[in-house]
Amino acid sequence: MTTSTLATMDSVVVGRSARMRAVFEFLRVIGNSDSTVLVTGESGTGKEVTATLIHQSSRRKHHPFVAVSCALFSETLIESELFGHERGAFTGAIKDRPGRFELADGGTIFLDDIDDVPLSMQVKLLRVLQNRTIERLGGTRTVPVNVRVIAGSKRDLKQMVVDGKFREDLFYRLNVLPIALPPLRERREDIPMLMDHFIERYFRRRGEDVPPVSEAVKQAFLRYGWPGNVRELENACERIAQTCTCGTVRIGCMSASILLRAGGPPPDLSAVAPASAPARDTAHAPTPTPPPAGAPRAPRDTTRRPPPGTLQPAPAR
Amino acid sequence: MITKERVESVLARVRPFMQADGGDIELLEIEGNSADVRLTGMCAGCPSAHMTLYLGVETALREEMPEFETLRLR
Repeated sequence: MTTSTLATMDSVVVGRSARMRAVFEFLRVIGNSDSTVLVTGESGTGKEVTATLIHQSSRRKHHPFVAVSCALFSETLIESELFGHERGAFTGAIKDRPGRFELADGGTIFLDDIDDVPLSMQVKLLRVLQNRTIERLGGTRTVPVNVRVIAGSKRDLKQMVVDGKFREDLFYRLNVLPIALPPLRERREDIPMLMDHFIERYFRRRGEDVPPVSEAVKQAFLRYGWPGNVRELENACERIAQTCTCGTVRIGCMSASILLRAGGPPPDLSAVAPASAPARDTAHAPTPTPPPAGAPRAPRDTTRRPPPGTLQPAPAR
Repeated sequence: MITKERVESVLARVRPFMQADGGDIELLEIEGNSADVRLTGMCAGCPSAHMTLYLGVETALREEMPEFETLRLR
């Protein structure tokens, strides 16, 4: 798998920043591996997409990819969900049901939100990873499973081990190939590229031509902190595509809550604008004046801005 | 208390972006705990802009001033 294939496969991992290039390079290196992967990253950074990419580039790509969020189920339900159950194992278990591990046989299972798995369940998971066998709830048969495991975590599992909230033995069993996905605020230079990508995707999906984007909107995207990461940026672009009817994406087309939290010194946009996307709409796009120095900031402003001059164009691949 | 200055301080957070797009948000008057504003420029006649700015700015005004009641777009 080449880096360019990866970049076109899904946009959540689009990026030319050094941080994302390191991720792509690591994915390329582990392409043929069958070892367990631990993907760590804040919500919205693209953990599941990364897991999908790993599966699709592996020898298992023609077998199932099964994703399951461990946060969705209660302590008892998760065991039945992962390992399955036999008829009569509990009230409501009216027939035999295979678990996600069995459904993923031959392929890959993505255990997202592994940090939400309760300690009592962690020991059962550890046993499955060690023995590569499962037992359905209420069953007596031991079933061998041939499954590659990818775990996703929004929290630092190592810290959770220190805090006594995650089993150390399970951590080491999972943390064979670690991948850390950076939050969007730590790879701001990728924002213009991601914005172009999603604006194009959502206007095309509506069967419409892709309109130019005003400099003011680009500035707002660059300055905002994106606490919800790429997922939030994608959502903002979808919203724009749904509401913009004026032929140019302007400030009025975007969420005011982003604008209200996008204040601050303007980054040098010319340094990050892709050369292939010349600024259009210049008649209406003078550089915004920064808000007054004493202007109140939004209470939930999580923006972390890089010092001036840190945004640099990434070298073309 | 709702004052012109406090409302303006919230509007000042979106104004630079609107001005950069050839528009503005103008505070017309304060009436009790409500304020009247007017959009000018390219987005003035756009129903989407009215909706997003109306919702976003009114929410921000209430965050700053819990007693704030209604933002009216004229």
